[in-house]
Parts: sequence; C-alpha cells; structure tokens
Amino acid sequence: MKTSAVTTQPRVGPGGTVRGWFKHTEVVLFLVIVLLMVLGGIANPRFLGIENLKIMTRDIAILGIASVGVGFVILTGGIDLSVGSIIGLGGVMSAYFMMKWGLPIWLSIILTLGLGFLIGLYHGTFVTKLHMHGFLITLVTMGLARGAILVITNAFPITGLPYGFNAIGQGYLFNLIPIPVLICIGVGGVSYYLLRYSYIGRQIYAAGGNSEAARFSGVNVDARVSLTYIISVMCASTVGIIQAARMSLGHPGAGEGYELLAITACILGGVSFMGGEGGVPGMLIGAILIGTLQNEMVMVNINPYWHKIVISLVLLAAVTFDYVRRQRRT
Amino acid sequence: MDAQPLVRMEKISKHFPGVLALDNVDFEVYPGEILGFMGENGAGKSTLVKILSGVYSKDQGTIWWQGKPVEIHSPHEAQDVGITTIYQELALVPHLSVAENIFLNREPRRISQIGLVDFGKQERMAEQIMADLGLKLPGNRLVKQLTVAAQQMVEIAKAISRNANLILMDEPTSALSSREVSALFDLMRRLKEKGVSVVFISHRLEEILTVVDRIIVMRDGRRVGTLQREEATQASIIRMMVGREVGLFPKQEAKIGEPVLEVRGLAGNNGVKDVSLTVRKGEIVGLAGLIGAGRTEVARLVCGADHLTSGTLLIDGKEVKIDNPRDAVSSGIGWVPEDRKQHGLVLGMTVKENITLAILRRISNMLGAVGAADERDISNNFIKALSISTPGMDQTVRNLSGGNQQKVVLAKWLAARPKLLIMDEPTRGIDVGAKAEVHALMSRLAQDGIGILMISSEMPEIMGMSDRVFVMCQGRVTGEFERGHLDQEEIMTCATKFLALDAVVEPAADDRPTPRYI
Repeated sequence: MKTSAVTTQPRVGPGGTVRGWFKHTEVVLFLVIVLLMVLGGIANPRFLGIENLKIMTRDIAILGIASVGVGFVILTGGIDLSVGSIIGLGGVMSAYFMMKWGLPIWLSIILTLGLGFLIGLYHGTFVTKLHMHGFLITLVTMGLARGAILVITNAFPITGLPYGFNAIGQGYLFNLIPIPVLICIGVGGVSYYLLRYSYIGRQIYAAGGNSEAARFSGVNVDARVSLTYIISVMCASTVGIIQAARMSLGHPGAGEGYELLAITACILGGVSFMGGEGGVPGMLIGAILIGTLQNEMVMVNINPYWHKIVISLVLLAAVTFDYVRRQRRT
Repeated sequence: MDAQPLVRMEKISKHFPGVLALDNVDFEVYPGEILGFMGENGAGKSTLVKILSGVYSKDQGTIWWQGKPVEIHSPHEAQDVGITTIYQELALVPHLSVAENIFLNREPRRISQIGLVDFGKQERMAEQIMADLGLKLPGNRLVKQLTVAAQQMVEIAKAISRNANLILMDEPTSALSSREVSALFDLMRRLKEKGVSVVFISHRLEEILTVVDRIIVMRDGRRVGTLQREEATQASIIRMMVGREVGLFPKQEAKIGEPVLEVRGLAGNNGVKDVSLTVRKGEIVGLAGLIGAGRTEVARLVCGADHLTSGTLLIDGKEVKIDNPRDAVSSGIGWVPEDRKQHGLVLGMTVKENITLAILRRISNMLGAVGAADERDISNNFIKALSISTPGMDQTVRNLSGGNQQKVVLAKWLAARPKLLIMDEPTRGIDVGAKAEVHALMSRLAQDGIGILMISSEMPEIMGMSDRVFVMCQGRVTGEFERGHLDQEEIMTCATKFLALDAVVEPAADDRPTPRYI
C-alpha cells in the first residue's frame, strides 16, 4: 500500500529511503545521463570539453522547450504531431516577416508567436468542440504547415537575417551560457509554476486524469485542453525562431522529425501517454537525456543513419515501461 | 409438476466484493415451460442467469442438466449443453445477412476442402428454420436493416438452429412495441410447443402474466417464492418482491425550510418527460424507480450534463439557466454520481487534490497559486469529519476502499458548500459499515440545511431516508409519497406503471448516441 502510493505519485517529493529515490523516473534518468557522460568522456575526451558542452546544452535547451510544450498536451491525454512542422513554419515566418515585409525583429517575433497562438487555438477547438483526437488535427497541420512553408519559400531558405536576431540562437550570457538555455529555463520555470502550483495546472492534471470527473466538478475542461494545445504550438514556434536565429536563415526543412524527439523526451521523463501524470522536471530530464545521447552518437562516430533507430528504440523502451506499469496497477 | 426438471440448480451462492449476491438459491426449469423470473433491481436475477449461461462462475452449489450434474465455465460451454442467452444488447453482426448470422462459423460448404460457402443453401436453410418458428424474413437481408424486434427473432432462430433446449431472455421486451411484444410471445409459445423452455426476466408485470406458466420471485439474493400462473396477480407478485423489514436507516429529524430546488416541467433529449419536483432545505427527497426509469437522467439535466429541451429550474426561488456542469457548480449544486470512478474522482490524484477539485479557484491567490495551507486545512478537516480512513491526504485515491472513495467524493462537494446535493445511489458497492456512516452523514447534512435529492434503487434506503419520495417510470413521475405514507407496494406499483407500449416507443436504435471513435 505504502510503496504503491510512492510509485503512482511522481509529482510528490521523494520518500526518505534510498530505495524510494530509485522509484522516481527523474532519479533513474539522471543516473543514466551521468553514465552517458562518463562513457562519452572516456570514448572521446572532447565530448566533455567546454566547446562541445556549449553546443550540447544549446541543443538540449531547444529540445527542452519543444518537449515541455508537447508535454502539456500529453498531460491531457492528447498528442501534438505538428511540432516539427511548426518549428519549420516558425523559423520561416519570422524570417519572412523581417526580410520580405521588413518588419523589426521584435514585431516579427510577436507576429510569429501570435500565429502559433492561432494555430494552437484551432487545434484546441477541433479537439474540444468536435471531440476529435489531437492525433488527427495535428497530423493535418503537420502536412499543411510543411506545405505552406514550401509555398512561401519556394523551397529556398530565406537568408540574410539581421545580426541582432541571430543573437537569440547564437549568443551567450557571460560568453558562457547560450541564450537558448536561458529561454529554456524561463519556459521551464513558468511551466513548472503553472503545473505545480497554480489551479490551472491542477485542472489540467484533472482533465487528463479523468475529464468527466473534472467537468462535473466545475472545471472548464475545454478551456484547459485548448490552452495546452496553444502552449504546445507557441513553444514549437519559439523553437523555430531560435533555430532560424542559430542558422541565420529561415530553412524550409527545419524541425523535420522533431516531434519524435520531443514526444520521446516526455514519455521518457515519465509523462504518461494516458494523461494526468508527469511533470516539467521529467520532461526536461528526458530532453537532457535525448540531447546527450544525440551529441554522444556524433562524438563517438556512430553512423548518422543509425541515430533515428536508436532514438526510436529509446521511445519504444519508455512507452513499454509506461504501459507495463499501468497494467500492473489494474 | 412432477416431471424431471430440464435444469435444476441447487444451493447456488455467489459473492461479489462486499455483497452476497446469491444466497443458497434453488432454481428449476421444466421442459417446455415459460418461466417468469422476477425481482427488484439487485435481487440476484441477472446474477443467477449469468451463472447458468456461463458468464459468472458460482461459488457454491450444483447444476443438474436433465438429471446429470454439469459444470458450465463459459458461454460456449453453456451453448454446447443447450442453453442460449438472448441479451439486451444483441450479439449479431450488423453488416452480415440474416442467414450469415444464423450460420456464423457453421456455414454450409460447397466443397468442404476449399471452404467455399454455399450461400444459396445457407439462405434456404435459414428461411426454413425461421418458417418453423412462424417467421417470414428473407435470409439475405442485412441484420442492420431489421428492427430490434426482428433482430431478437433472428437471435432466437440462431439459438434454435444450434439445438438450444433452454433460452434465457433478460428483459427482452424493454425496447419493443406492443405489437412486437405479442409477436415475441407467440414465438415463445411456439418454442414451448417444440419442447423448448424459456426463462424470461421482465419488470412489466401485466405482460408477464399473459405468457408465463410459472413465476419465481427473488429478493435480496434469495428465492422468496413460486407462483403458478393461476394464483399469480400483480399484487401478489409485488408483495413478494418487496415484503421485507423496513427501518434500517432512519433519517434524523431535521428542520425543513424553504424550497432550494424547484423543477417544473423538466424534459430533455435523454428520455425525461415533464418532470416536476421540489426539494426543500433540510429535506431528503427520494427518487425511486427501476433502473432505466429516467432518474439519473433527471440528475444529469439538473447538473448540466445533458441539455433540457423544456422546463425551468429554480434555485432558492430564482430561475437559473444551467448549460453545463460549471453553471450547476456555481449555482450551488453538487452531484455525487452513481459511478464514482468514472464521474466522481480523478483516481490518479491524491485525496487532497480530489477534495479541493471543485473549489480550486476559491483557494487560489491572485497569481493563480493554490493556497497550500488552505488546501491542507480543508482536506484535514474533511478527512476527520467524515472519518475517511487513509494513510494521509497525499494518498492516491485509487488505493482507497470503495466506501472511503465515496467519502472523498462527498468531501469534495461539502467543501464547495452546496445548497443542493444530488446523490445517485449513494451507497452502491460499499460495505455495510460504510453504508451506515454515509446515511448518518446524510442526516447531518440535512440538519445543516442542505437539500438532498437521493436516487436509490434500494427500497430500504428509500423507505428509511426519505422525507418525500417521487417515483419514476419511463421518464415520468408516476407517484409522490410523503413520509409516514410510504408504502413499498404502492411505490413498486408506481415504478412499474408502464404506459400502453405503443405510445412510448422511442425512435429506437437510430436515436442512441453514436459511439465516439478515437
């Protein structure tokens, strides 16, 4: 009775015993990350060098932002497959606003995020009003957004972005901490507050755990679910802006396959695919693990063709674990 | 009757968690007999039928088939013995033809080695079987094009083609018009002529008397009597169904005040028709009736879960518009649903989180942060006040017993300080001790001035707890009783006051909610 209470409560602080610690997904993942670091450092000393760490943390931060976004949706029992295409669209649109319309940087960013808001709202509306599964409507957007990118850019990158904009992706604080890491900490912090401490977060968990019970308790389930889809698309748009700034161009192929990484990071981090369970720390640690793994595969010269297979197998393991845990409970 | 029974069940017992569903029940069916099987909801009829048809396993007892003991472990084994059940939800494949359904998995083959089906022969055989039963149905017609009544006939034909000697029917007439019912009864009589026995569960007393040879009545998991057709009257059956001691759950005196909920001419697209009722402060109003009478549907309309098509709702004398559950909650209505796991609790959340679910906004500050101290205090108070037994407020609700889960649902609503509490089967599936606690608690709430609308299928609960009782049947209120004038037999009479059948036939199958596909 007592132990099962601990395993089913990933959001509550860990119990006192060492064994209790190991029941937490986050702790186990952290140990795996340490292991990956040590092995990588042995295989290639440059892996732990400051230059590589700068690259790696920036990659992780970008993935972290996307993961937290899609994590919100998964908490409600939904899914957002449009992440990758929205990243591409976000990058291209911000570049388009600056270069083709000549708008200032700040306005381009606001417009891009506003577009993300609208797309998220339209996902949320289909999911809540038509009771469509998020899988379908975001699958449609996945195709639509990628198609729109090609129409807008004619499949050519939009180049020559202003220096000030590029700093978002390439800059450092104190010449050490990449700007994307700061953005990720900000997004993660706000999300953590929202989910852990605010009533809105509590209602999101309730909507994911049992939407009927939540609705009958007076929770505005439709609004909460829509909010998660909006957050997801806005996070992906942010990632798109960062990617464009980092490459100094709006690339039509940016973000391709990114939904796989983001969803894997969430599931790995203990966000249950059935909804209602998981948290921001798990999503971020999942992203750290995936980012470390990707970087390490490059640094130890694993054939890039194999990368996707490795990541997919990690997803398989995480999903299997989630389902097995669930079956044991019933 | 001194003939050897076709099937005899001896000293059958069956436990479910917390309930003794069948207690040493004897049951027998003679060859070529139509047996009416009666009892209130929860009396154990369906459980017994399910044991006979292999859906449930018995804890104790013996089944004799034509004098020989048999063990039935699955519906398949029951069919091999010669027992077929016609369920309320029909088990036909809608997109296949009548003939294909009848011979599913036993199709006549053209050349047996290759496995080609001889469709012509199959249709002729199917039509022959149905003709023997007096049915004229084309064998090539798709089942989904048939009415529910005709589908039932096809199921019976299928059973006969498998040499069934005993056909069990659980409320077969609930969806039929009176013309269709009499056709079904004709079919039952023809089955009887062929020596097939029929066991027939129904709540419609009038119609059961026109067709059965013998009636067995169950109450509280025991067989309480047998009536031959000649001696059976509606009154005698009702007396047997309800005759039991009352007064187990006395409601404490409470001061009854102004009306808190008034419902006038309520109707909805969920089958509720012209329901008017009033609940006053401090009053417990019982809503009695059989399952499917429309009681939960009334609750769903008041709670905003379903949409009303006409009628008005008044809270504290003021008209309110309730479009969704949020409106209901903010009007001061709390709903303790029948199925707490589906509608009442978020099982993966903690006791604390469930208790505060309906009041999150009230205990949050300007930045939206839930007040941790408030939350702890409120949870602690209710855990103590309702003596919820849990290791702590951070325990996951999934891990609590049924009775304690029910108390958590109650605590959630009490925290919201409702004016009206709707309790749908408040003590279903919880053990006796917890039951008494919930009843005592309901009395206390009434004394605090909350109005309670209690839906219950348990007659003792209705009799003991209610200040006033409304009885429903087929979506309408068919009776109203004051405390002191409560009479079980009269309540049961109202609960079975079915209108002339043709008048109430619903647009049938097409009107059911379409399943939601993910």
